[in-house]
Amino acid sequence: MLIHRNMERISTDTPVDVMLTPQFYTIKREPLPVKFAYQAKKIAPSLFDGLLESDGSYDYFVYREGDTWVFIAYDLDEVLAFLAQKGIPPEKTGKIYFAQQVWKKITDPIPLGEKEALTVLDGTVVVVPRMALPGANFLSFDESFRPSKGVSPEVGGQTLFTRKQAIVVAAVFVLFGGIWLAEGLRYGKTNVTLQKQLNEFYENYPALQSAYTRDSIAGKYRKIDTEERKKREIIGKIAGLIFKGVTLTEFDMTQKKFKAVFVLSDKQVAKRFDQLLKSAGFSKSKASSDTKIIVEGTL
Amino acid sequence: MNVKRYSNELIVLAALLFALMALGYKFSQRTAMAEKNQAMAKEVAVFQETISLKNIWGDKRIGKKLESIRKMVPASKVKWQQKGKKLTARFTDLKPSEVNNLVTKFLNIAVQVVSLKVDKNGDTYTLEIQCKW
Repeated sequence: MLIHRNMERISTDTPVDVMLTPQFYTIKREPLPVKFAYQAKKIAPSLFDGLLESDGSYDYFVYREGDTWVFIAYDLDEVLAFLAQKGIPPEKTGKIYFAQQVWKKITDPIPLGEKEALTVLDGTVVVVPRMALPGANFLSFDESFRPSKGVSPEVGGQTLFTRKQAIVVAAVFVLFGGIWLAEGLRYGKTNVTLQKQLNEFYENYPALQSAYTRDSIAGKYRKIDTEERKKREIIGKIAGLIFKGVTLTEFDMTQKKFKAVFVLSDKQVAKRFDQLLKSAGFSKSKASSDTKIIVEGTL
Repeated sequence: MNVKRYSNELIVLAALLFALMALGYKFSQRTAMAEKNQAMAKEVAVFQETISLKNIWGDKRIGKKLESIRKMVPASKVKWQQKGKKLTARFTDLKPSEVNNLVTKFLNIAVQVVSLKVDKNGDTYTLEIQCKW
């Protein structure tokens, strides 16, 4: 939709892309030795020094046209206020384009109401009174005039972030995401030392490659180990009970139980023997006498 | 919904989703790695235990080691019956020190003691051991 000062008020439910006539912007062309639009945009304010009203808050739209840069200064607040006044509230304002962007397509004047028209003079789009164009053929404004680039107004209160804030916040998230992704990939690698150890075992003990076989063999030897260590521990303890005055007269050990018979020389020896017996965790059998001690137990 | 109007929020939301997914991926990988490493460590431990137990209780030189015990006392004092991997040995007329030595030697070899019997007869001892390996 072409926006001009004398336009009628409209009503819309859907967002509208608009094209501003020169009534809403100031244009300047400069052949600057800069390569990128963002560089040109940086110096835009200095180019319009003295040309714009000092109390306005201006934004700049810059694009390249051959060897020259085209700078367009516009007051977004003023534009949005005007659009709102004409029935296009900020939340219904889509992209904003500038008539200057399509000056080459304006081969004939485009009517702006009954009194004015949009035309091109020396490559610049201007608004002229229709009476200054007697007998001219008028073009109708349609979708074919839509330029490839435009401005998306960021209205305070309508969006949570400005584009700049969004990019900064998104960059932070992407940075963290990247770090976490890299960490995740690093975690994905298995423990090299353990893997190497396992590979060596598989290589050196092919018979133990099956977990079932391994568990079966381990279970068998674990049982033997426990039982035999227990037997040896008991024999060691029994041997530890022998000292001067104590004679082992009988010792019998089977897979399930053991029995040891000691003969003691006197009461003093018996006293010490009792202490040793207690510290070894054994107790006398009921069949024991003062000098003949029987120790029994199970494995 | 006007997608263009909320493009900034969409950019932030997409980046946030990416970050959250990356965080989720990191945690899932960490958990998976911990579980895998735990399983591998357990497997290594079982391997080591199995090998070590097998080396002790499945030692193929046990027969030879037992043979050396036989020669510790005069042949007249020994009755030695070995069938495959089973041994019944009876030692008679032993001094207490000989009993002690023999028991210690037997127990230092990784045999399974089926029965061990020591009896005092007067001043000497009789030792009978049944073992397998």
